[in-house]
Amino acid sequence: MSDTENMIVLEAVEKIYPGSSSPAVERLDMAIPRGEIVMLIGPSGCGKTTTLKMMNRLIEPTGGRIILDGDDVTDVNGDQLRRKIGYVIQQGGLFPHYSIADNIGVVPKMLGWDKNRIKERADELLHLVGLEPSTYRDRYPRQLSGGQQQRVGVARALAADPPVMLMDEPFGAIDPITRDRLQDEFLEIQRTVGKTICFVTHDLQEAVKLGDRIAVFGTGGRLAQYDSPDTVLTSPADDFVSDFVGGGAAVRRLSLLELSRLELHPIETEEKAVGNRNGTPVAEVDGSGRPVAWRHLPDRDAAGTTLVTVPLSGTVYDAVDVMLDGSASLVAVVDEEGLPQGVLHWNDLVAGLKTRERGA
Amino acid sequence: MTAVDLQPGVPTPAQQHTGGGESRGFLGTIKANYDLLVAPIIVVIGLIVMVAYVGSQTLDTIEERALEPANVFGQLGQHLLLTVYSTVLVLVIAVPLGIVLSRPGARRIQGAVLALGGFAQALPPFGVLLLLGFWEFGVRSAVIGLTLAALLPVLRNTVVGLQQVDQSLIEAARGMGMSARQTLFSVEIPLAVPVIVAGLRVALVLNVGTATLATYIGAGGLGELVQQALRLNRINLLFVSGAIIAAVALLVDWLAGVAERAIVARSG
Repeated sequence: MSDTENMIVLEAVEKIYPGSSSPAVERLDMAIPRGEIVMLIGPSGCGKTTTLKMMNRLIEPTGGRIILDGDDVTDVNGDQLRRKIGYVIQQGGLFPHYSIADNIGVVPKMLGWDKNRIKERADELLHLVGLEPSTYRDRYPRQLSGGQQQRVGVARALAADPPVMLMDEPFGAIDPITRDRLQDEFLEIQRTVGKTICFVTHDLQEAVKLGDRIAVFGTGGRLAQYDSPDTVLTSPADDFVSDFVGGGAAVRRLSLLELSRLELHPIETEEKAVGNRNGTPVAEVDGSGRPVAWRHLPDRDAAGTTLVTVPLSGTVYDAVDVMLDGSASLVAVVDEEGLPQGVLHWNDLVAGLKTRERGA
Repeated sequence: MTAVDLQPGVPTPAQQHTGGGESRGFLGTIKANYDLLVAPIIVVIGLIVMVAYVGSQTLDTIEERALEPANVFGQLGQHLLLTVYSTVLVLVIAVPLGIVLSRPGARRIQGAVLALGGFAQALPPFGVLLLLGFWEFGVRSAVIGLTLAALLPVLRNTVVGLQQVDQSLIEAARGMGMSARQTLFSVEIPLAVPVIVAGLRVALVLNVGTATLATYIGAGGLGELVQQALRLNRINLLFVSGAIIAAVALLVDWLAGVAERAIVARSG
């Protein structure tokens, strides 16, 4: 790959702490493509955080080169470099003595922006992360919940519009429900901003959900595998990765499969299906066209089967979830308006899911 | 509120809002801080009792002369000057020293310097003042002695206050591109201020009490009254001087407490 498509390139980067004979990170070669989210994951002490912190030189590498957007930044002024790279840590790391707006304005202030521009930028970013500026800009961090603080943390990292963001377990200390929502919002924001993001996590689920690529680190700072989430789950590079990914990889993979990418079975609604008693399931719909019950199913009693639905924007994992929940062996996939788009059968899961081209 | 100044090396001005962020009314402020009224009330009652007692006694000329307002207030002024000089000196010496000691490069000598501060505090102030009296009689020696004795609380609180700043905040600051210096002045010091101020309050109260001994090396202060009373064996005078010294110490501590609370509320 050429350097123009890679935002961050690590070349033989190495960190050996003074007084330690074995490296914390061992001759690491890694390229992070522009606009992608790369998840660094591995057991504790594997060097994933060290690697992240070497990218903005919070930790100085003892060997190798770091190339950011085509420029060798191994020896440039670290403070200047870090102002151009967003940085988010656990719990946001907000300054308790700064208001929310001032927290967001830290980097723009250092870059010498004028006050009005900083204020506008803070409002704009608060809006982006889903916090009403007029309510939150003058508050102090301790007046916000953990999830809100983390949102501000992300806003602060985006303040000077850096092309690269480094995130060190940002959602690690947040309760699972809020974390899930923050992850969704994070992906939503990323769709708008399109940053190159390097993200440390210890949660495989999170890595699979957020990452375009996953870098699995082994003990001693060795990069064991660097691949798409799908590949890491389905074909681990070695025993270490397969142990780390562990059992349940096949189930986790379900959450990677978007329903919109699948070939679904056709579904008929009652009006069109009068007299049509072939192999197509027929659903009863309400006044606005949303399916409410099964009228006819080809291979079983329609009255005894609950009609469950799953949105087209969901994943196969969601579909399995609603099927198990409703004790139904098939699920109607509906679009945003609730109109039926197709059917997914339980048997499809074991028979192999047919995907179509993305975007088709 | 607009963004605070973040120029390199300039301490961030204290926030205008109180901790809660909601603006309390005057009555609300009083309600929230009613405990601060206890000390002044006790002092006022004590002084009234003292004045009533002295009024009921017949004073001889020596007592009358010693208790003349001009005399008492003169000594009070000397006393407060001694306290202020020594506390300011403590502030100027101990806070920067504490900051330097908390830097990574100086961590190794931190223990040794703190031990030295502990040594200075453990020396009986009376002894130190008398020894300094051999060098020179007067205000200068007294201020040096008082400063030595009160150095440790401020030094230790500065070091501890800076150490207890959440490491993740320092990391966040550095990670955003603040230099070590900007991090110190914009993050570490503002967050350590409450602890440093608590140390200063201890030093101030120590100095107010110890300044009573300054009279023995000719530096004046309220100790003069006590010395006079003891020398001339005037019980009334002794009682009055004791009451005044206690009242001054309580009031100074009270003022320091009020200032501390205001500063802590502002620094978040």
